[in-house]
Amino acid sequence: MESIILFAPLIGALLCGFGWRIMGETAAQSVSTALLFVACVLSWIVFLGFDGETRFTHILPWIESGSLATDWSIRLDRLTAIMLVVITTVSALVHLYSFGYMAHDENFDEATESYRPRFFAYLSFFTFAMLTLVTADNLVQMFFGWEGVGLASYLLIGFYFRKPSANAAAIKAFIVNRVGDFGFALGIFALFFMVDSISFTDIFAAAPDLAEREVAFLWTTWPAIELVCLLLFVGAMGKSAQFILHTWLPDAMEGPTPVSALIHAATMVTAGVFLVCRMSPLMEFADWTQSFIVYIGAITAFFAATVGLVQNDIKRVIAYSTCSQLGYMFVAAGVGVYSVAMFHLFTHAFFKGMLFLGAGSVITGMHHEQDMRNYGGLRTRMPYTFWSMMIGTLAITGVGIPLTGIGFAGFLSKDAVIESTFAGGTDAATFAFWALVVAAAFTSFYSWRLLFMTFFGEPRGDRHAHEHVHESPASMVVPLAALAVGAVFAGMVWYKPFFGSEQKVQEWFGIASGEKHAQVLLIGAARAAEEQNDASGEDSGSGAAALPGQGAIYMAPDNSVLHDAHYVPAWVKLSPFFAMLIGFALAFLFYVRRTDLPAKLAANQAPLYQFLLNKWYFDELYEHALVRPAKAIGRFLWQRGDLGAIDGFLNGVAMGVVPFFTRLAGRAQSGYIFTYAFWMVLGILVFITWMTIAGGQ
Amino acid sequence: MIGLEHYLIVAAALFVTGIFGIFLNRKNVIILLMSIELMLLSVNINLVAFSAYQGNLTGQVFTLFVLTVAAAEAAIGLAILVCFFRNRGTIDVEDVNVMKG
Amino acid sequence: MQTGDLSIILPEIVLSVFAMAGLIAGAYGGRDRLGPAMIWTTSALFAALAAWIGLQGAGTATAFGEMFTDDAFARFAKVTILLSAAAVLLMGKGYMARCDLIRFEYPLLIALAAVGMMVMVSASDLMALYMGLELQSLSLYVIAALRRDSVRSTEAGLKYFVLGALSSGLLLFGASLVYGFAGTTGFAGIFEAVQGRAPVGLLIGLSLVIAGLAFKISAAPFHMWTPDVYEGAPTSVTAFFATAPKIAAMALLARVVYGAFGGIVGDWQQILAALSVASMFLGAVAAIGQRNIKRLMAYSSIAHMGFALMGLAAGTVAGVEAMLIYLVIYVTMNVGAFAFILSMERDGAPVVEISALSLYSRRSPTRALAMLVLLFSLAGVPPLVGFFAKYSVLLAAVEAGLVWLAVLGVIASVIGAFYYIRIVYIMYFGDEESELDAGGSTVLASFLVVSAALMLFGLWNLAGIEGPAAAAASTLVR
Repeated sequence: MESIILFAPLIGALLCGFGWRIMGETAAQSVSTALLFVACVLSWIVFLGFDGETRFTHILPWIESGSLATDWSIRLDRLTAIMLVVITTVSALVHLYSFGYMAHDENFDEATESYRPRFFAYLSFFTFAMLTLVTADNLVQMFFGWEGVGLASYLLIGFYFRKPSANAAAIKAFIVNRVGDFGFALGIFALFFMVDSISFTDIFAAAPDLAEREVAFLWTTWPAIELVCLLLFVGAMGKSAQFILHTWLPDAMEGPTPVSALIHAATMVTAGVFLVCRMSPLMEFADWTQSFIVYIGAITAFFAATVGLVQNDIKRVIAYSTCSQLGYMFVAAGVGVYSVAMFHLFTHAFFKGMLFLGAGSVITGMHHEQDMRNYGGLRTRMPYTFWSMMIGTLAITGVGIPLTGIGFAGFLSKDAVIESTFAGGTDAATFAFWALVVAAAFTSFYSWRLLFMTFFGEPRGDRHAHEHVHESPASMVVPLAALAVGAVFAGMVWYKPFFGSEQKVQEWFGIASGEKHAQVLLIGAARAAEEQNDASGEDSGSGAAALPGQGAIYMAPDNSVLHDAHYVPAWVKLSPFFAMLIGFALAFLFYVRRTDLPAKLAANQAPLYQFLLNKWYFDELYEHALVRPAKAIGRFLWQRGDLGAIDGFLNGVAMGVVPFFTRLAGRAQSGYIFTYAFWMVLGILVFITWMTIAGGQ
Repeated sequence: MIGLEHYLIVAAALFVTGIFGIFLNRKNVIILLMSIELMLLSVNINLVAFSAYQGNLTGQVFTLFVLTVAAAEAAIGLAILVCFFRNRGTIDVEDVNVMKG
Repeated sequence: MQTGDLSIILPEIVLSVFAMAGLIAGAYGGRDRLGPAMIWTTSALFAALAAWIGLQGAGTATAFGEMFTDDAFARFAKVTILLSAAAVLLMGKGYMARCDLIRFEYPLLIALAAVGMMVMVSASDLMALYMGLELQSLSLYVIAALRRDSVRSTEAGLKYFVLGALSSGLLLFGASLVYGFAGTTGFAGIFEAVQGRAPVGLLIGLSLVIAGLAFKISAAPFHMWTPDVYEGAPTSVTAFFATAPKIAAMALLARVVYGAFGGIVGDWQQILAALSVASMFLGAVAAIGQRNIKRLMAYSSIAHMGFALMGLAAGTVAGVEAMLIYLVIYVTMNVGAFAFILSMERDGAPVVEISALSLYSRRSPTRALAMLVLLFSLAGVPPLVGFFAKYSVLLAAVEAGLVWLAVLGVIASVIGAFYYIRIVYIMYFGDEESELDAGGSTVLASFLVVSAALMLFGLWNLAGIEGPAAAAASTLVR
């Protein structure tokens, strides 16, 4: 069944991409969409029926080279099952949505150009690559999927290839991802170098050994585990647009909106979070790297939220929101509660996918106007879209009833993240806690701002555009409704197995069973046992708790954050709720009551406003610090090195020296017998002389 | 007393004369054929001299083969030359250069 | 002389008797009317002999007081020679018919040349070597001048003859010196007499012998006859020149240097390496200026012989094996390339100008594609078989410590790739529509396509020639 899920999108992509000339455009689109829905249904069956035991499905032998032996096989555990559902569901809905969204496009000449099959083929190919990534049972297979989604992302961001900005954004995404991928690749090399295997099973089993080892890299020696984890995390940073490597994500909004929903909100950007969770058996041993992850995640969450406050492009607001939410997930993973990271990933996929699709609906309704300053009052004209966006906003801002398990999806998962962070207890976690709470207020503000500016107030901007506003077709509204269900209920239904009940979490992720399970449950006892282990030796220590790699995620015996998170003070549990209220109140004040205030404030605090509006000047900084020097080096190597030295030399040889000898040879071939004989005799003379001098005695 | 080396020197002199005949002569192709004969005959002198010196007959047998082949070669050479003359109307060595480059 | 001796040279005897009987039949019977039938019969006989020789058992036998050796090496070379000769003979039939050149002597002369070549590759005595060489050369002189009414053809014959005679003279003089210093003409005897150190006289003799043979394989600087003769001779004859005699002469050279002078590898290695470098570079550089495709193929064959010599110069079993593989692949490519050249016609008349191929791909896409494959293979572009031919000789040279030779070989092949690919360029991106006839004989087309297909599909263990080549190489190198 897993194989069908994995290969259905690939078949869809191939049939749609290469077969549309034969079966026609609509049929091609339908085929790929239908296959996606098949995969989606099967994924849900797998997800709901999965018992927590890791399963392997061998597909084919792949690479055999020296000690590197890799099979192409599917590793199905809870992480994979979660991701399968997320990916196929969102992807299937996005396929459906794209029927409506891509039906007309001013970037293409519809009479002569068939862009739709291409778009669907790319979408399906992306889905296949993403599924490869999450079903991988070894790092190389994962890297294949990793690069595959990068390729699909590049192709889809640059889908409007006539727009220079789209091309630039595609290239930017690709290059920034290269930086991360370089780290990821180095991490894989390092693991293979030290473990001599790239299979997850072997790597996880070797994690305790790695924790003891050191490895020389660059200028100094590192603890092996920290180095590996750091390098892998660099890969995750690139893919998940974390602080420093985040610059590509907002620009990636140049792609069509369904792409933004699928790739740049729900699935691909979460691959980094997935990687960190997948590597939890290693991460658990890398304390320093975990702190680093927490800092980066917290800074990203805060930074992106601040920038999101002032953006005017509807898609950019959501893009920064995505960036910020990814920061939440990393913080959760960094403090060691991988299940919560996955929880937020899971719920986020629904409500963020829906927000994007809703935004897409608004954009089509407004004839490809993306500036929120030109919206307003769309509530009545696009009711379905409005209500779905409303649900999405309620979900992302975290509306729910505090201290109970009732609320929208984002409420439960976000609170779980924040509570876990507080329970983390370290300096990093404390910092992250405050950053996340503030970010939650910002999130609430910009989300409501978006909603108010779009759907409330008076219509602004081009009157003509507003007169023609219409609700989107059914193919676009239905996916919104489906995702709305997820955004409302996903949190409540799966609260316990992700976070709420430790026992459920253990079972659900297949971490441990029987008496081991009991030991892990009693964290305090486990701690005591570990203290004993320190005295008695390491052998008994590894047997006391779940081994690394036993379940889908691994939490070290000394990792009690999940446990502690349930016993945080009430004010901690309430803080995100109040942050949300503050954000809502401010947004209401600014954009419904006193709509003149934002402009005044911007004028008052001009430097701050400009700082945020220009995204902390990151693009400018990179432009000056990296892009220009790189371009200068490139131009030097190209003009001087390539054109001057290499081409000059080769052209000199090819156009000067060789033709010279060609003419010489032609002249020697005079046609006269005596010349020919003379050359022969000359040859003989040389040989005899040579022989006499060199060989003879 | 005339020894082996004298024969060899004569043979070498004749051989070199033959070679020079081939690439110094620019007049008549017949002279080339004669030069070739000269080379082959010098080889024969060599072979016979060695044969006598070493006291085995191999060299003399070889000589007979060479003589036979030389005759065939001359016949074929003259035949080709006649054909060439019919087409070109000259057998000057300097005129044998339709093809070059 | 015993019957055992005769049974060993039975294939040669059969072929000679056939040639002489054919001559008599032609002279007193049908004359040129017999031509087409004679071509078919000769080709069939070649193929039959190749099968016979190829299917003979393993083992080594000598005849006539060790003058003639029948071993795996000889059999390998003979099969290749006979098959390529049969192929070229069949290919040329249509061309010869259109040029009114179907004379009954033509296949018989080729048969006699084949006898000469078979004797050459089996020769294990300087006398047998000389006889075989002359039998082959005399036949080739005549068929080069086969077109008696053409200035070019007769001039080609004349040049070939004069220079060939000169080279024979050099070789003979060398042979006499070798005989004088070694005391025998048998290769085995020479091998025993010359171990480690050799007197200068013998080294001079060796140089002269190698020079004489280098002329036959047209290695620079003894190559000067090649372009002129290739251009002047009828194209089908040129195709023959470019294939079978090259193998025979290379095999003979290998037999001489290993069978007779295997004790002083270091001495002849230098000469062969020098010949190799000179040939590769001259072949590559001079071909660039050519406008006539037959001349271009002449320089191409010079360059290819340089590469084959590189294998020989390695002085190892692997080197000889690489050389044999190279030769087989070279011959296959040349059969295909000449099948293409033979089919180049405008209004029924043969064309040899490269510029006439302009945009040929539009006129005849299949042929152009097959020729493209062959040209890329000739240039040594991976993954075609031609690349592996070059790779094996380069590898042999590197393993034998001749890294500089291998490096020069790579540079030369880069230069050489230019003129092959230029033809492709002209065929696919020329400026004016080709004026060549689109149709052509199916025989030529099938040879062309089969040869090109072999370049593509021969990647799988090189169509099985490696085993026999290795066996042949190991019997030769002692």
